Amino acid sequence: MTDNDRTGCIEAGILENALVMIAVLEKSGKIVAWNHAAETITGYPKDEVVGDTSVWKKLYPDAEYRNSVTARIAAILKEKNYFENFETTITTRSGESRIILWNTKEISGSGKKRVVTAGLDITKQKELDAFRESIVENANVLITVLGRNGEVLLWNTAAEEITGYLRAEAVGGREIWKRLYPDPAYRKSVTKKIVEIISSHRYFENLNTSVTTKTGETRIISWNTREIGSGTGRLAIAIGRDITEQKKAEEALVAYMTEMTMRMKQPVEIIRDNLRDVAGLMREGKITTEEAAMMLDGQVRNATQIAANVQEFQKAIAGKNQSIPEAYRKFLEGD
Amino acid sequence: MPAIVSPGDLDKKQIFLILATPGNIRQRNIDLIRDISANGYHTIIVTINFPYNILSKLYAENGVDLKTVSFIDAVTRNSIGSAENVPGVVRFVNNPANLTDLGIAVTEVLKENSGKKVCILYDSVSTMLIYLSSQNISKFIHFVTNKLRLSDISGVFLAVEKGLDPMLMSQLTTFVDTVIDTG
Repeated sequence: MTDNDRTGCIEAGILENALVMIAVLEKSGKIVAWNHAAETITGYPKDEVVGDTSVWKKLYPDAEYRNSVTARIAAILKEKNYFENFETTITTRSGESRIILWNTKEISGSGKKRVVTAGLDITKQKELDAFRESIVENANVLITVLGRNGEVLLWNTAAEEITGYLRAEAVGGREIWKRLYPDPAYRKSVTKKIVEIISSHRYFENLNTSVTTKTGETRIISWNTREIGSGTGRLAIAIGRDITEQKKAEEALVAYMTEMTMRMKQPVEIIRDNLRDVAGLMREGKITTEEAAMMLDGQVRNATQIAANVQEFQKAIAGKNQSIPEAYRKFLEGD
Repeated sequence: MPAIVSPGDLDKKQIFLILATPGNIRQRNIDLIRDISANGYHTIIVTINFPYNILSKLYAENGVDLKTVSFIDAVTRNSIGSAENVPGVVRFVNNPANLTDLGIAVTEVLKENSGKKVCILYDSVSTMLIYLSSQNISKFIHFVTNKLRLSDISGVFLAVEKGLDPMLMSQLTTFVDTVIDTG
C-alpha cells in the first residue's frame, strides 16, 4: 500500500466515522459520498443516495422551502465558493424535522472539483436554546443579563411588565438604570451598595431596591445575581422578584398587629387601673355604692368593647390568611 | 410641686399632649385642672374614662372650684343608659365612638363659655382607643386641634405613656405644640 493509498484510507475512515453528517457532492449536486452519520441523521442509506441528486428533494419535501434554501445557497455561492454555518431544517425519512448547520469546502481531486459538505445536527441544541428562552421569557420574575460594563444584553417579558420599559428601550445600553433609579442620590446609594457587595462576594442575594416604573409607580424589587460565563466573556444574570405586594402585606400586618396590641393591651390595663381606683375609692368611702356600680358598669362596657375588638381582629386574621385550617378559621371567626 | 403646664404657655394658647403612667393618670387629671383653674381659666373636661359625678367629687375634694369646670361626659349614658344634661355644668354624649356627637358637644360647650379664658382637657386618648381605631382618633384630634387654634383656645390631651404606637404618637406630636411626659 502506497502512502497515498494509506492517506486515502485514513480520510475515508474519518469521513465514515465522523459524528457530523458529511456528504461529498459534485458540482451538479450529485452525491459522491454519504457517511454513516448522514445515514443516521436523515434515515436514508448510502446506496439510496450516492450517485443521485434526488435526496435533496426528499430532505426538503416542501417545494417552497426547498426553493428558498436553493436561492439562499445560490446567493452565498455568488460571493464565495463555500458557505459557513448555514442553517436549514431537513425532513428525515421518518418524517421528523432536524435542524442542520451546514459548512462546505470545495476540494479538487483527480481533475474534478467537488464540495465537501458537513452538516451538524443542532436540533437538540436548538430545542434546549428554545427551552431556555421560553423559561426566561415565561418566568414571572424580572430577568436581565448584563455585560461587563453593566450594559443590558437581555430583558425578558416580566422585566417589561414590571418596569413598563420594553426590551428595545432597555437592551444595548445602561440608560435603563437611570430611568429605573431617577433620583441621583438614591441611584448612587444603590450603586455603592452593589459595588460593596460585589467586591466581597461577586454576587448578591435578596438585595431590595425601589425602582420607578415608566408610569412613575414605585415597585420594590428583590435582586439576586450570579456570574455566568468565564474569562473576558463573563456576564452577570440578575433576577428581580417584584415584592411590592408582599411588602405592602407585611407592612399592613405589622400595622394591624400594632393597632390591635394598642387597642387590647392598653385598654385591659385601663380597666385594671379603673377597677383598682373603684376599690380604693370605695374603701376610702369616697363614692357611694350606686356610684361604684356605675363605675363597674363602665368597666363591663369597656371589656365588652375589647372583646368585640378581639373578635374583629380574629376575623381579619382568618380573612387574610387562607392557609389557616378550616376548624381554626371557624374558631377565629367565632362561628 | 411645679405646674405641669406653665401659665405662660396657657396664655400662648398652646396645645399639649400630657403623658402619664397608668397609675398616675387620674391624679394628673386632677393636678392639671387645679393648675389651669388657678390661672383663671375655665376648663372643659371631655371625659371618656371616669363619669362626671365621680370626677366632680374628686375635684371638689382636691380643692378645685367646680364653677371653673364644665364637663362633656361620654361615659355615664353609655353605662347607665340615660342622664339629663345640666346647662353650664355637664353635657352627655351617648357613646364615646360617636365622634360627630362629641364634636357637636365640644362646639356647643365652647359657645356656652365664649368670652371666658377657656382650656379644654381630653381624658384620655388611651381610653378612646377602646372605641376607636388610631386612624379615627388621629383624624378627630386633628379636627379638634384645628378648631382650638382657630378659636384661639388652649387644649390638653391626656394619654398613658408608652401606650401609643409610633405612628399615632408621631401624628399627635405634629398636632400639638408640646409633649410633656409627667411619669
